[in-house]
Amino acid sequence: MNRLVVNQVVKHFGDRTAVNGLRLEVGEGEIYGLLGANGAGKTTTMRMVLGLIMPDAGEITYLGKPYSKELLPLMGYLPEERGMYPKIKVSEQVVYLGQLRGMSRKDADRSLKYWLDRFDIPEHYDKKMEELSKGNQQKVQFIAAVIHSPKILVLDEAFSGLDPVNVELLKSTVKELRDGGTSILFSTHRMEHVEELCRNITIMHKSRPVLQGPVKEIKKKFPMERVMLSAEHPVEGLDKLPGVSSLVKHEHGYEMKISKPEVAQNILQHALAQGPIRRFELMEPSLNEIFIRTVGERHE
Amino acid sequence: MNNLWTVTAFTMRTKLRGKSFLTMTILISLLLVVGSNLPYLIDKMAKGGGAVKVGYAQGEQAEVMTALSGVLASLPEPKIELVPVETPKGETERSEAMKQAIEDKTIKGYLEFESAQGGSFPSVTYLSKKTLSEDASQQLQAALQTVKTDAAVKDANLTQEQLAKLSEPVAFDSIRLDELDGSGKTQEEKDTALLLTYVILILLFMSVMVSGQMIASEITSEKSSRVMEILVTSVAPLQQLFGRVLGTFVVAVLQLIVFVAVTVGNLSLPHNKDSFASLGIDFGNVDPLMLIFAVLLYLAGFFLYAMLFAAIGSIVSRTEDLGQAVMPITMITLAGFYIAIFGMNSPESSFITICSYIPFFSPFLLFLRIGLADPAWWEIALSVGILLASILAIGWLAAKIYRTGVLLYGKRPSIAELRKAMKAYKV
Repeated sequence: MNRLVVNQVVKHFGDRTAVNGLRLEVGEGEIYGLLGANGAGKTTTMRMVLGLIMPDAGEITYLGKPYSKELLPLMGYLPEERGMYPKIKVSEQVVYLGQLRGMSRKDADRSLKYWLDRFDIPEHYDKKMEELSKGNQQKVQFIAAVIHSPKILVLDEAFSGLDPVNVELLKSTVKELRDGGTSILFSTHRMEHVEELCRNITIMHKSRPVLQGPVKEIKKKFPMERVMLSAEHPVEGLDKLPGVSSLVKHEHGYEMKISKPEVAQNILQHALAQGPIRRFELMEPSLNEIFIRTVGERHE
Repeated sequence: MNNLWTVTAFTMRTKLRGKSFLTMTILISLLLVVGSNLPYLIDKMAKGGGAVKVGYAQGEQAEVMTALSGVLASLPEPKIELVPVETPKGETERSEAMKQAIEDKTIKGYLEFESAQGGSFPSVTYLSKKTLSEDASQQLQAALQTVKTDAAVKDANLTQEQLAKLSEPVAFDSIRLDELDGSGKTQEEKDTALLLTYVILILLFMSVMVSGQMIASEITSEKSSRVMEILVTSVAPLQQLFGRVLGTFVVAVLQLIVFVAVTVGNLSLPHNKDSFASLGIDFGNVDPLMLIFAVLLYLAGFFLYAMLFAAIGSIVSRTEDLGQAVMPITMITLAGFYIAIFGMNSPESSFITICSYIPFFSPFLLFLRIGLADPAWWEIALSVGILLASILAIGWLAAKIYRTGVLLYGKRPSIAELRKAMKAYKV
């Protein structure tokens, strides 16, 4: 049985529909990607999962049971809009939030110290939140979301506003949590993170799920139609080849759009005939492209 | 339940550690120390000042001046000391000499007489650099009046008996019927009750205003800093709301205890006893029932208003908008306070009686009525009943508004929008 099951959930706000017929399941040790443009219904979905608002139709179950207050200690939440108490010490507020999630003061304190060490910022234990840099504030907030080792974790734009080093640090932490069995509902606009982390995704558009499934299978549904080529010397006449619909010259090579995968072999032969080749790749469609195509097409 | 205490404890801890709490407590305590010693200090200064030296031209209006100094000397606490000043003849020279005497600090001011026509009593002017104090000027005027009456009586050739009859004051006393049979309150009890009412009114008003604003602004700042998002997903809003109100309440009461201790401590110092006794206030007269009602109504008033402030705080997203949003409640609090203050003069008027059934006003007015009027027990019960019922109703409503409001961002919602949101959120 899956940890978190969202079944045919519908939510209206007045005459506006925020979520319409969403279905998704998150298993143990899985990161589930929830994607969509701004206003697509992601936050409403997450709020329903967190029990802040009740769906108008459909149901959400956690470990097979409907929502109840007893589930609160099992859930963790990192909201998109970051914020803690600016004037209160890090230790004070994180321990408080841990206590609210059912931990004892002592356990919460120990867990906080572990995480601060883990993120290499143990010196901030006694500082006020407002004295921390933005990146460190985010780390503290992340700690607040996971301090009680939740079984179900909701991460809304977990990596926004972080520098690449810290993104890597948090990403590896999220992976570790996943490997530890946490079920994570993950929302982001950064497609490369989704490709790296998520097994299954849902792309939402205007309150409806428009594309769902395992990342690999979604990618298979989209034809491979991009070719990257770089060679020791300039390659002539690529745009004249049949089936090549566009050609872009980069600093270190060429990028082509092709109408069908077979055309790629012609390109390779054509280029080889002119000299040695350093790189040739028939590219999988990136999630970014898939997202833009799925959502963008419907925009019109 | 566990979380309720966690929220309460956190609210208390963060408040008690805050700098503003400590500063406020010390500052107000200092004010109270000064305030409670004020009657003594004023008394002390008045006594230390001694009598005002008032000069007069030697030889002028000799008859009046002799009589005047006689009257002043017979007073138990003369505030005026007459000092004869030798002056040359002539109007201007005389005033010059008097002014010189003031400069030399031999006198504070001087008297000038203007003879009236037909030999009647002259009009008197007191000239000085500083205004004569109220007491001294009254005494001087009364003494002059006596001198004048005596002179007039002498002219009319009245006998001593006739004079005594004339100056005998009318016997007038006002007694309420219930005072006669002992069921009512004595004047002393009333004076004490009046003071107590004053104190409770001010304490309640202050607590409500300070704590209420604090509760509202904290909830708003939790919303604007978005901690709220995490809070509402960790703890039931109802526990959050009540925990916060409870925590703030405990802190407010702790502060009150400090204030009351400072005041009572200062008042029971030996030198203050007399000052208060002279005002007709005796703390031994306080009816224990009054104190029970004071505590009960303070509690009720606090929670009623705290809930309202919390509800308002939860629908505002930015601290800047809060002042405007809490205005209606501030107005109601002010209205309750001022109705009570003005009602002290006529605690039995029907306006006060009616208002004491309105839950927003009853914490202020019911205490006033119990202290100064004699409401029937059923009136008290009805008033308290309405108040308690409204606290429950408002608490329930506030919890609903809070639950909805904390998730609404952006512009402050109208009542219709709030109702729509409540429906949508199914709270």
